[in-house]
Amino acid sequence: MGNIKSKKLTVLLVDDEDRFREALSRQLSVRGFNVLSAANGEDAVKMVHNNAIDVTILDQKMPGMGGTQTFNEIKKIDPLIEIIMLTGQATVDDALEIMKQGAFDYIMKPMTIDELLFKIEDAYTRKVLMEKKNQKK
Amino acid sequence: MKTKIDQSSHNNLNVADMDDEQINIRKYFKQLRMRLIIGLLAGFMLPHIVLSAYFHFQFTSTLKKSGKLNLAALSESQRNTIDLFLQERVVNLFSLFRGNDFSTAPSKRDVANYLQSLRQVSDAFIDVGFLGPDGIQIGYAGPFSFLQGKNYSNEEWFKALLNHEKEYYISDIYLGFRKKPHFTIATMQMIDDKTYVMRSTLDPDKFYMFLRTISHGKDVESSLINKGGLYQIVDPDRGVLLGKCEYIPPDKDKTGVHEIIEKGDPVLIAHTWLKETDWALLIRQPLSIAHAQMYHARRVMVITLTIILLLLSALILFTTIKLIGRAQDTAEKKQLLRYQLIHASKLASVGELATGVAHEINNPLAIIISTSGVIKDMLNPEFNMDSSPENILKEVDIIESSVFRVKSITSQLLSLGRKDEGSFVPCNVNNILNDIIGGLKEREFKVADIELILKYDPDLPEISLDPDKIRQVFLNIINNAGDAILGPGSITIITKSDNENIYITIKDSGKGMSVDQMKQIFNPFYTTKEVGKGTGLGLSVSLGIVESMGGVINVQSLKEAGSAFTVSLPILKKRGVENG
Repeated sequence: MGNIKSKKLTVLLVDDEDRFREALSRQLSVRGFNVLSAANGEDAVKMVHNNAIDVTILDQKMPGMGGTQTFNEIKKIDPLIEIIMLTGQATVDDALEIMKQGAFDYIMKPMTIDELLFKIEDAYTRKVLMEKKNQKK
Repeated sequence: MKTKIDQSSHNNLNVADMDDEQINIRKYFKQLRMRLIIGLLAGFMLPHIVLSAYFHFQFTSTLKKSGKLNLAALSESQRNTIDLFLQERVVNLFSLFRGNDFSTAPSKRDVANYLQSLRQVSDAFIDVGFLGPDGIQIGYAGPFSFLQGKNYSNEEWFKALLNHEKEYYISDIYLGFRKKPHFTIATMQMIDDKTYVMRSTLDPDKFYMFLRTISHGKDVESSLINKGGLYQIVDPDRGVLLGKCEYIPPDKDKTGVHEIIEKGDPVLIAHTWLKETDWALLIRQPLSIAHAQMYHARRVMVITLTIILLLLSALILFTTIKLIGRAQDTAEKKQLLRYQLIHASKLASVGELATGVAHEINNPLAIIISTSGVIKDMLNPEFNMDSSPENILKEVDIIESSVFRVKSITSQLLSLGRKDEGSFVPCNVNNILNDIIGGLKEREFKVADIELILKYDPDLPEISLDPDKIRQVFLNIINNAGDAILGPGSITIITKSDNENIYITIKDSGKGMSVDQMKQIFNPFYTTKEVGKGTGLGLSVSLGIVESMGGVINVQSLKEAGSAFTVSLPILKKRGVENG
């Protein structure tokens, strides 16, 4: 995991399914990630305000503030946070739409931890590149 | 594999449904065809038959009268001819008697000359005689020379002549001294205050020939009878001279026509009394000849009417069968189309549902795979996690509960997609609504921030419904309600009833519809949803289903305020089924 292991990445996991969130948090934690989790959009926005987040894994469909709105709010706070959208629907139209707006990628439930790790690694690599690019400016 | 079997049985039920309906359509059109044919035939034929019968009756009556009038006219015409014939013979005798001198008895030669001159006028004359005041024939010429000197003073005709008011007399047919049928024309004249008589006898055969001549070509048979009903002139096939005639005409009628039965055959018989003698002329005409024109006209009319009725029947049959055939064809096509629409709409509904279902299933699947990942991590020494059986068991429990969650979703999905009883059974609509919104829709709406408000009438009566079809109706309307709400909102489902109907209102706080949209929402393929999201079949098919159950769908909507769809279903339907 190269880059990832050299720094303890902070991943924000946002999903209304408690058990899914908990299991995924445990899997990421044992793999060296600093994991924050939120059950809804409002909590996620608060966490972004209060923490330095590297990558956010955001569920597309949530009660209250949905995935799209949460995405926009997070990007308003820190545009460099890379966001991976999670979707449980067979169609990925909404996820693709949100990628056009700047999301790093999407991943369909159910997925293995390895699939997710690859996406997180790629997302973080891009984040680093973007940060360097901004520093040069 | 199981799904495939279920789908197949589901299709079979639909096909069975469609076959039943097709049998009903065919039965209906068969009855309609029969009723129409009978009605049209009766409507067209009866007036024809009644009018034909009326005209036939009138025509027959007129022709019968006309037949009698013709025969009466013929009898009068023949009577005049016979009277004229007899008058001419009387005049012949008179001319002879008055034109010669009978102051002295005529010589044999004179009498022979008289006979010759008479026979020149008519060959009916047999002989001629001259009688003195004492009735003794003092002059005779003819084939019966023994009559010379015969005393006729006691003969009927002689006495009748003397007492007759006229100066001549025509006798009936009699045998006389010669013992052969003949009749006499006698004239008298006063010479020197004494009465002298000139007489001549006539041959009945010649008279018969004369009668035949005047009847020739008339298809009638003429005869003469005296007052006593004895034949004076008759066709040998009919009777003999002086034989008794079976028909005696009434004395009081100068002329008359009657219908009688002779030897089993109906005959028209006309009678008229001669002026010169007390004889009646009888003219017979068989009814078949008298009414031949009528019979012919009747035959023509019956044949014409039969042809007209047959043509009319063929036309009615052909037109009705063709029209009903077309209507049946259209109805069957319409029914097939309706089934195809229902099927298409069902597929669309299931497709729409599948999107939501995928999300609901993928979430527990994600939990399962993540939790099993946690177990793997526990068993991986690299991660140094607590891998005690208790901890692993906890994770397995999570997996198990997620599996049951998936099972519950698939069960609900099957209850929506698979159940197809295809027949009416007593149903509680509250339960059907719960089936639809329970689990699947409830979660979907929760995620979409749509609040579900249920106001069920707990005493809602059960009614007879096809649960699969009515489920499809409610699913369509509830799906539409959810799609109409952009952002947070609410869907209220109300059930209530009165004595006649139950009412199910599904009200949303969505975007509502314009008046133009409301006019079109029940049209097939009309949709207010985004391209690709709706087929436009749902409401059209739902309306068809509700109407087939004897119900109606009412819509109220206000732009930007929401819509309310109220499905009314008759309670009677249940009673009908129970009673039936």
